[in-house]
Amino acid sequence: MTIGLSFIMGLVAASVSYFMLSLWWPVAIILGIAVWLAFGLFGLKMDSAFTLLSGAILVFCISLSVMIMRSSDQLSGLQYADTVDETGTEFRYPVPLLGNAPSGERVYRSHGCAACHTQHVTHEGVEFDIKALASEKNHSAVKEAVNRFYQVTGNPASGGIALGLPVGEWETVALGVSVSDAAKARGFLSSAGASVDVQVRFNGEDLEKDNFSNPDGRGWGKRRSVARDYLFVERPMLGSVRIGPDLSNVGTRLNRSTLMRLLLDPKSIRRNSKMPQHRFLFDVVKESNEKGIITIRNKDEQVFYKPTKEAEALVDYLLSLKSANYPLEEAPVYQPFTSSLPKPEEAKKEMEEKTGDEGSDTK
Amino acid sequence: MSSESKEGEANKDPRDVVDDSCKGPFLFLAFSAIIWLLVYSIFSMLSGVKVHSYGMMVDTAWLSYGRIQPASQLALQYGFLVQLGLAISAWILSHRGKTVLVDGGYLYFGGLIWNVGVTLGFVGILSGGISGLEGLQMPVHVIPILLTGYVLVGVSLVQTNNRRTDEQMSPAQWFLFTATLWLPWILGSAYLLIYYFKAKGVMANIVDWWFMQNFSKVYLTFIALGVCSHFFSLSNSYRLIGRGYALFAFWILLLFGSIGGVSLAAPVPAWLPALSTVTSVFYFIGIVSIWYVLYHMQNGASAEDNISLMRLGLIVFGVVSILNFLFAFPMMGKSAEFTTFGPSIELLFNLGFVGLVLLASFYYIFPHMVKFGLSPKITKIQNIIFILGFMIASLPSALGGLMSGDAVLGSGFYFSSVGDLFLVFASLLLFLNFLYAIIMSIKTCDCLSQLFSKEQAKEVEA
Ligand code: HEC
Repeated sequence: MTIGLSFIMGLVAASVSYFMLSLWWPVAIILGIAVWLAFGLFGLKMDSAFTLLSGAILVFCISLSVMIMRSSDQLSGLQYADTVDETGTEFRYPVPLLGNAPSGERVYRSHGCAACHTQHVTHEGVEFDIKALASEKNHSAVKEAVNRFYQVTGNPASGGIALGLPVGEWETVALGVSVSDAAKARGFLSSAGASVDVQVRFNGEDLEKDNFSNPDGRGWGKRRSVARDYLFVERPMLGSVRIGPDLSNVGTRLNRSTLMRLLLDPKSIRRNSKMPQHRFLFDVVKESNEKGIITIRNKDEQVFYKPTKEAEALVDYLLSLKSANYPLEEAPVYQPFTSSLPKPEEAKKEMEEKTGDEGSDTK
Repeated sequence: MSSESKEGEANKDPRDVVDDSCKGPFLFLAFSAIIWLLVYSIFSMLSGVKVHSYGMMVDTAWLSYGRIQPASQLALQYGFLVQLGLAISAWILSHRGKTVLVDGGYLYFGGLIWNVGVTLGFVGILSGGISGLEGLQMPVHVIPILLTGYVLVGVSLVQTNNRRTDEQMSPAQWFLFTATLWLPWILGSAYLLIYYFKAKGVMANIVDWWFMQNFSKVYLTFIALGVCSHFFSLSNSYRLIGRGYALFAFWILLLFGSIGGVSLAAPVPAWLPALSTVTSVFYFIGIVSIWYVLYHMQNGASAEDNISLMRLGLIVFGVVSILNFLFAFPMMGKSAEFTTFGPSIELLFNLGFVGLVLLASFYYIFPHMVKFGLSPKITKIQNIIFILGFMIASLPSALGGLMSGDAVLGSGFYFSSVGDLFLVFASLLLFLNFLYAIIMSIKTCDCLSQLFSKEQAKEVEA
């Protein structure tokens, strides 16, 4: 092999051992030089069966350790976390499937619903809005801090700030800034002695619709999905293609009878539905005097369908899907300005301490 | 394509001996591969039709889209691509090594077990035993069967490669040899990690993505590249242009193809998607260099039809690689996420590159095996339909996926059913063509009846 090519091989060896295997940098450099010399000067044969076999084994081990072992190390420590539901009740998340739901999960798996549906909410980005409150004492310092912030980030001043910061009133300093800008603003303002309030917004097509910050939201979740959501799922069915909507929190969107109808005859819910019928999950019965019987009008005659046990279990499972709804430390949900809410003073302070980085979360 | 190779005539005897040794296993594996192609195309078309025609076949669970679709993928990947790849690797490794195929009986036996495995997997998926992991949809118990079958075939291939006459290996041999080793390693590890060590939560998905990445970026790519470089170098009388480049490409592709495959927004630690982007950039460097080498090699190759098919395959490979490279970056990747773009490009890769290259080499090898070759006219027609088929099945739905976004079925999906119909015709023609050639060969000479008696003897041994 030529010296030039072997140099590239050495470079690759060094960067792999440094960046991917996280070896100490001198070791990586020595490894790189050794590879360069071995192939360039000593003409080690790269294509003997021995090199091929041992090289392949080595690469296989690197691949396993880089992708599987490292992520396994990181994920194996994952545990329950505390969160709150819509009513403000604290509970431990995630909740294992209960009752009929585990067999419903098997039905979901066995009918391949994952071929068309994902269970995996994404977001595009986080944005921060910042408000500041200045008092008589620190008014000029805060004004200076605001100006400095505008200079550093290149955002123009606007609104009340541009007119001269009013004293004793919350005033918006920045809208829709990035994590790092928000951190800067917080740093400048709080060192000038102002009180700071931060609003965290997420945008992304999948998330809850918000006319102002997320107009295209489809409401498939309040936050993105994270590894913790699947803690108790064996072989999660994340899916990779969305022919239908995401089902991560379908349990909060639809109710039992709608879901049953969707499985039996989706077009009776939405006319242009592309969801296939799953009539095999239902038995045809003679009369509709029992609860839960679905009637489908077929021109003149009526057909009554009774959900099988499978269908009941499947719907139980779908109703239990509420994963992308609860705030977690690594995945907070939309968090409004607290200054506009009547909140006790300590809570606000606590929140000020926590905000400023993306991974923050307040209850 | 009944054209005889020129070298084949020059030194007939040793090559014929090699051909004879490969004949039975090759025909067996290739025949079952082609049956699986037919199965794939029929089920793939059915799955498309199921989406368009509301209310069709809704009373049977085993014909629901969610089952047909993964089943057809299994038939394509494990039934067709892997099996035809094994058949052709066996032939190339023995020809390159100028040695007879060692332990051909293992190939029959392993091939049989492999087919049993794929069949069980196929039936298992249709009857609801789906694992829920994309690349490994077959039921749990099928994977050990597949592994056993593969290892038996692999033993024969590796031994054949070890008995080669020349010490030095050519690029075709590096690629095919490594690919042969790679599949059982990744399949076995994925099986152990998911089902034995019970990977928890998203760990199972990470293992699955890792497996899929290795399966397509290393295994299938290497098989097809090995086959290409063998046939391109044939008429250059085994001279290789840029051996250094080929070596460089080989190691880069192996190293960076084996890492990555995690989609951008996956709910996993953030370094995994980032790492996948990085490796796909490096992988692309390997692609560029192997493309350079193969481009130079094909310049010297003949203008036969099957070589032209391989050239087309190489162009498809280039296109797919560039797309994969571009869409590995978050900016582009976001727009394709969860749409029909991904599966369509995968289909283009599977059929347009790997499938086409394997079929082309099959056309080349087949006349060496039986007296009565494939009908050239039908072969030509079936190739044209096949090429049209995979183009129509993949390109419009890829484009439609990009334009319409996720959770919307663009009109590209309708086109893809037309493409599927073409593929059904093409594979049906191929199947009939093959069957006819075999039947005629049995009628016109007794070469196959000899073979069958030999086969039985071998199976008794094995
Ligand atoms: C061929 C692909 C396909 C398969 C397979 C499929 N679905 Fe659907 N599904 C869709 C489409 C498309 C929609 C959107 C329909 C609409 O617009 O009303 C949908 C909608 C839904 C919805 C309503 C979601 C919402 O937010 O409105 C639910 C629930 C659902 N599917 C459940 C399932 C279940 C459970 C299975 C498996 C038994 C399944 N689907 C299989 C394509 C599919």
